[in-house]
Order: sequence, then C-alpha cells, then structure tokens
Amino acid sequence: MHTAIELTELTKSYGSRRGLDGLSLQVRAGEVFGYLGPNGAGKSTTIRLLLDLIRPTSGSARVLGLDPRADAARLHRRTGYLAGDFVVDGRRRAGECLAFLARLRGGVPAHRITGLAARLDVDLDARIKSLSKGNRQKVGLIQAFMHEPELLILDEPTSGLDPLVQQTFLDMVGEARDNGQTVFMSSHILSEVEAVTDRVAIIREGALVALDTVDALRARSSLRVRVTFAAPVPAGEFAALPGVQHVSADGDTLTCTVDGSPDALVKAAAQYTVTGLHADTQDLEELFQAYYTGPRAA
Amino acid sequence: MTTNGGAMFTKTLYDNRRIFTVWALATGLLALMYAAFYPQVSADAMASVPESMSGFGLDDTSTAAGYLQGPVFGLLVPLLATFYGAATGARTISADEESGYLDLLLAHPIGRARLLLQRFAALAAGALLIGGAVLAAMLAVRDGADLGSVGAGGFAAQTLNLTLLALLFGALATGLGAATGLTRATVFGVTAGLGVAVFALNGFAPQIGAGGLRYLTPFHYYIGGEPLKNGVQVADAAVLAAASAVLIAAGTWRFVRRDLGR
Repeated sequence: MHTAIELTELTKSYGSRRGLDGLSLQVRAGEVFGYLGPNGAGKSTTIRLLLDLIRPTSGSARVLGLDPRADAARLHRRTGYLAGDFVVDGRRRAGECLAFLARLRGGVPAHRITGLAARLDVDLDARIKSLSKGNRQKVGLIQAFMHEPELLILDEPTSGLDPLVQQTFLDMVGEARDNGQTVFMSSHILSEVEAVTDRVAIIREGALVALDTVDALRARSSLRVRVTFAAPVPAGEFAALPGVQHVSADGDTLTCTVDGSPDALVKAAAQYTVTGLHADTQDLEELFQAYYTGPRAA
Repeated sequence: MTTNGGAMFTKTLYDNRRIFTVWALATGLLALMYAAFYPQVSADAMASVPESMSGFGLDDTSTAAGYLQGPVFGLLVPLLATFYGAATGARTISADEESGYLDLLLAHPIGRARLLLQRFAALAAGALLIGGAVLAAMLAVRDGADLGSVGAGGFAAQTLNLTLLALLFGALATGLGAATGLTRATVFGVTAGLGVAVFALNGFAPQIGAGGLRYLTPFHYYIGGEPLKNGVQVADAAVLAAASAVLIAAGTWRFVRRDLGR
C-alpha cells in the first residue's frame, strides 16, 4: 500500500456554509504530511471526517485503504489521534487516563507510556485538571504515540507546547517517519512544521490551493529586486522580460519581482549604468500569507 | 486481533463507584426512614390527605402495603429513581460530547453503539444497586415497623419495578442525548421535567376524569399493579423494560448515523 490517505472530491456542508469544497489529495504511506491553512479553512473538518466523527456530504475518503465509516474500529486500531485542545476526564490522574485509553486499544506495553512520559516530563500521578494546557497536550501526545500506530493524525499538535517540548515533539515525528509510520499533521503556522514535513498541502475556504514539498514551494517564491541606475530607464522595456513582474520605476530606481532565473533582467540592466543592486528572496511565511489571502487559485 | 472487551463498561462503573453508592445508600435510607414511620401513621390515620390527591395513593394507610404505596413507593423512591436516570443518562453521551472527550474516545477502536451500550449497562448496574438497597432496607425494617403483612416477594417485585423505572428514565436521557447531541443540562432538564410531569399526570388523571391517560405513564406500570400486594406483574415489568429497549435502540440508531458536535 502506497497511499495512506486518499481524499476524492471530499465535500462537507454545514447548512449553507461549506466546511470542505471538493477536496482531493493523496498522502503517501511513510511521509510526514503538513496540512496547513488559516483558522477556519477546514483542517479540523477534514480530520474529523478521516476519523468518522462526522460524515461527508459528498465525495469519499480512504484511510489506510479502509473506509472511515464501515471499517471505523479496525481503522482506529491502526491510527493515533491528537486534537489541538486535548480533552480527557479532568478528575482522573494522567496515568489512569492513559491506562484506560490503552485498554480501549486492547493493551499497550506499560513501558511505552512510562518511556514517553519520562521523555516529555509528564507527571503521571497528577490529576488532569491540575495540569497546564501544555502539560495536558503532552498527555495527548503520549496517547497518540503510545501504540506506535501506522498513521498519526495530529490536529494542531503543537498548540500550547513550549519551544523545548516542540523540539521533542518534532524529534518524535521524525522518529515515527524513520519507523515507517505516516504522519498527517495540521497547523496554521508553517514554521512549526516546516522542519519535519516532506510535503505540505495548503487549504483555504475548504479547497486545496497548493500541494508540494517545502523546497518546491520555496523555489516558487520569487526574487525581489531593486536596481538603481545612473539615469532614469524605460520601465516598459523591463516589464516585457520573461519572469519579471510588478515592475515600477521611480526616477532612476527600478523595482520588480523575478520568478525563476534573473538572467534576462541582469542582461537588460547591463545595457545601462548600474549604480546599485539589491535582491532578496520572499520570506516563506510571506509566500504562505499570499496563499492565505491572495486571489483563490484554480 | 486484540479486543477491548468491556473496558468502557468497567471504566464507567469504576468512575461512578462513589456516586452510584451514594444514590443507592441515600435512596435506601430515605425509604427505610419513611417506612419506619408506619406504626405512628397507621395509629393517627391520615385523614388529612385531600380528595384530589387520592390518585397518588396517599389515602390508604389501613394496611402496610397501602401505606408503602403512598409516601415511600408512590412518591419519594420513584422520583429519586427518575432523577437518578435523568442525571446518569445525561452523562452517557451528552456530557462528553459537550466537553469534546467523546471525539477522543471514538477515535479509539470502539464503535459508537458499543460505547453507548457499555455505558448504559453501567447505568443499569447503578439502577440495580438502588433497587437492591431499597429492598435490603425494606427487609431490614419490615418486622420492626409492623410491615410484616407485605411478603419478601412483594418487596422484591416492587423494587424490581423501581429498578426498571430508573432504567427507563436512564434510557430516555441516554437516547435523547445520543440522538440529538443536546447539552447535558438540557437532556437532564427535559428528562427530569418530563418525569415529574408524567408522575403528576399519573396521580391526577383519575381526578380529572382521564383515567385512561394513566396507561401512557411509566408510573402506572411501576405501581398500578400493586406489586407489594400482588407480587411480580410480568406484563407491567415487560412494558417498562420494552420501553427502555425502544428508547435505547432509537437513540443508538440515530447516534451511529449523525455527526458528532463540538
């Protein structure tokens, strides 16, 4: 099996409001897949559909080759799930909660729980309600990882974690991948997941706007160039060059963006006397902001 | 393939061990106290009960069974059983759906129907405990309070119906929450309110010339056949049990089909 998750024209409507709008994508087995989008884009809706907590209006999802609804119990045995706001019975001790969840899975070796608790520095004797949000989230991480599931479905897993624990979490995700596990994790912040993800999907208003590796997305980001000349130059001449956009001339200063190779721009500029040249890449977060807020592609 | 067996049942029972014990002890003790008043009450004769209240069974104090069918098994204990069912049933699905914990549980390898049925089974165990405590209280106080004319079989039959009554309102609250996703407070309020309303209907129906309406209330099947005097009323008990089964089946049917709320 090479596809861990396959979504086909997945649509979920809440009354007149669209949660998901014909979303299709594939997550390969064994990859760490980042699922990005602003709040309200449909990330949690997708995840709750994968877990059969809600049902699609139309379209379909296959997870580990199974139907989320018909094969729910079989599928859940092979998956681990963590919500952004992990909720368990607050009156119980952390260890009690984990032992019960392990029993629901038909048993998990105790050393898996104690090992993860030690690594994340979780006090298993503490009552859940006495824990801070970050510590509660760590309990959530333990229950998601403890049975070494084939597929980890993590909804905003890093919310509330302090930076040190975030690093431990990213290490755990990397180890899961090395172990052959598939990780599907959502976030609204790229930098949180950038370091471990193989590919990322960006969704907006329930639809896919981009799906690629982080490197490829970075390559897509354009170069911002500012050239100063000894004398004013005709802007139109530069606007016609391949890959050059957003050209504006202000006296003897020309600014533009360049997608791909800047070769044509450099050669065109060389016909004049260049007194200054400044170029920098668009920040990746800015690129994401552009996906989030720009005109909807496709 | 590994299985989780009755993990949800045992966990629910374990988590509720104290509250179920308190329900059973409180109900048993109250029943015991009121039953123990019988010698005084039978001496005074309760002539003060208004005519309009006769449907509640408070007017017959000449026999032990008659008295017990009044304040004890006619009022106090069945209302407590109703509230037990409403309160516990509102926690079967509604409370955890409201908090979001249900999402986590159902992301585990336990089907929705299985989760619901195992939790309802724990509720049933709590109802049995209440019935058992009341039965034990009655048997303990029987001789000391001049209640010897009611046989152990009569007490057993009435407490069986009490358990079934608690189960019925538990099934109503469970089914309501499972089918609709309403909040715990709403499910409790609707169930308890409905319980009190049909209790009043059962009591007042004969006075308002609508005796037939009694057949629509569970309290009629609970005490109408006078099990304290007549022993187990199989048909009445079957009606109560069947109503519970229908409510649970309908709630489960809807629960496995609907979207869970957050």
